[in-house]
Amino acid sequence: MARQLIDTFAARLDKGVQKAVHDNSAAGTDKRYSVLGSDYGDPNPLRALAGAIKQHTIEHLDTYLEQAESRLTANGASVHFAATKEDACRATFEILKAAKATKVVKSKSMISEEIHLNDYLAANGVSAVETDLGEYIIQIDHDHPSHIVKPVLHKNRRDIARSFEREGLGEYNDDPETITRRARAYLRKQYLAADAAITGANFISAESGRMVLVTNEGNSRFCLAGTRVHIALVGIEKLVPRDRDLGVMLNLLGRSATGQQLTVYTEFISGPAPAEQPSGPREMHVIFVDNGRVETLASDCREILRCIRCGACMNVCPVYRQASGHAYRSVYPGPLGAVLSPNLAGKDFAKLADLPKASSLCGACNEVCPVDIPIPDLLLKLRHRAKEEHIPSPGTPPMGGFALLASSPSLWRAAMVAGAALDVVPKGAIPVPAMQDWLRTRTLPKWRGGRFRAWFRNHKKQS
Amino acid sequence: MNSRKAIFDGIRAALSPLQERTSYPDYSAVIAEPQWLAGEADPKALFEKRLMTVGGRYFAAAAACARWLKADGATLLYLAPELAHLEPVFAADLPVTREYSRGLVDQIDAAVTLASGAIAESGTIVLSDAETPNRLAALAPWRHVAAIPSDKLFRTISDAIAALPADPNVIWITGPSKTADVEGILIQGVHGPGQQGAFFV
Repeated sequence: MARQLIDTFAARLDKGVQKAVHDNSAAGTDKRYSVLGSDYGDPNPLRALAGAIKQHTIEHLDTYLEQAESRLTANGASVHFAATKEDACRATFEILKAAKATKVVKSKSMISEEIHLNDYLAANGVSAVETDLGEYIIQIDHDHPSHIVKPVLHKNRRDIARSFEREGLGEYNDDPETITRRARAYLRKQYLAADAAITGANFISAESGRMVLVTNEGNSRFCLAGTRVHIALVGIEKLVPRDRDLGVMLNLLGRSATGQQLTVYTEFISGPAPAEQPSGPREMHVIFVDNGRVETLASDCREILRCIRCGACMNVCPVYRQASGHAYRSVYPGPLGAVLSPNLAGKDFAKLADLPKASSLCGACNEVCPVDIPIPDLLLKLRHRAKEEHIPSPGTPPMGGFALLASSPSLWRAAMVAGAALDVVPKGAIPVPAMQDWLRTRTLPKWRGGRFRAWFRNHKKQS
Repeated sequence: MNSRKAIFDGIRAALSPLQERTSYPDYSAVIAEPQWLAGEADPKALFEKRLMTVGGRYFAAAAACARWLKADGATLLYLAPELAHLEPVFAADLPVTREYSRGLVDQIDAAVTLASGAIAESGTIVLSDAETPNRLAALAPWRHVAAIPSDKLFRTISDAIAALPADPNVIWITGPSKTADVEGILIQGVHGPGQQGAFFV
């Protein structure tokens, strides 16, 4: 039976993993809901404001990007631009080469996942160690993050303990505290031995050139305390116009991502550390990366570029909870990924064109989004695009029959009467695969087709 | 074509068909303040409360901090040179050094450094390179306590942003370093301090 790719993945998912993903993402949704409710009552005006600030920013991106470039330069940072994955990898490596840096520590950056930076650096003789605990586990397992905020949502403590044992970080011990202490001891040696730090950026204020980096673990701070060169890979859409906008965004980011008023470490970086400072990189490089963003800006899905990467939409999504992040076959999972990944894919759009179809359009993602992105609308636009481009769509039921019925009043009337047959035929005999999947765990209610038409006819007569 | 030109040309081409563009919204910073903030009259009391909410420790004075460090098992304290006048208070309870070097990362298990401010609304400690030049010293030890100048307490996050200094690096610290990466279980003290405290000076 033909299924959507995401359903196939969900069906094969280990039951333990499925439960972990479900419970953990549900807990994230509950925490978000509770803190936003107790702090704001109705958080919608704040979400709408944040959405308007970001929409304004992306619709004036040329102005703000130019302004950010000139402020960063004035602050003593070097600004670079990278149109493609390859450009971004090459630019990063050229900076490292010029600084004679061969050991790199990395603080979690989704854009570095997009451009497959670690593989590129390894091929060029640079060792890059991930320092976020979750990302470190992903790295030693040669795995991929399944959530943008909680990358190892799909692993349990036993998996992690086995990986640590294999890497020589001590005997098998699956106590989360022991795992964390071992990572602490190992990773601080890496920070202190490293020449350079590679980070992402959560926001850059165009007005001042201040870059904001947030972490709960303190790993980005350790990167910027221990090394002499800082390279930040930044998507061109990560800007806000003014410093005051950072207050709006930070208040929403922590609460939406992890239910915290603020993330533990919120770092404002506006330039390299002066020579008299005892610690901190003397060189700061910012690489603004396009990698499909300009094309997304030109499309009718540009609202997705408002995204501040909190992960609330994946936590709340019933599809994500069943399928887990890897089912999305791209760096960004969940509702965000279902819109962003096919857009960033460029020429490979067809390979990910099924993602926007794996949604019931329930709208929960839009309701929780801190920048109020109309994700369901964007999913519909992408479905339309796939249809226009004649991309095959395995597992989605053909709608031609419905279209025929719905466009002819007499056929529709006949179908409403004939539908009553569903009450008596054996359910296994209905020849629609999607219907069979649905019926496995549910029963059909008694046929009520045509009742509305009858009611409406009588209603009109009375008035 | 070089990347910079490609990106800017691409952005301009993408935006040129737009008939209307969203204007920058006019707003007051009050919109981002939690609704309970209006009922909090005393910023210091609020800071103390919020610091404890995020898992931090509040000390009424340096002496109380010194006693706690000793009781918690600290063996060597780094006291920032900017706080040299407090050395007698701490030296009464535990060995103190005013030098921090990478070689001592494993030995120094407590640090008291000068903060450049704090935020009452969120229980946040503000450090900047100007007041806390040694980033590593305030991060690597298991215990970090910030001495906050009483006159540098901001009421809200927005106030603190409005007052960001022209320092290349400012960091806000809201509680101890933490992770929930392993099965969603909260563990404190990942890369930064497992114990984060503060007192006013």
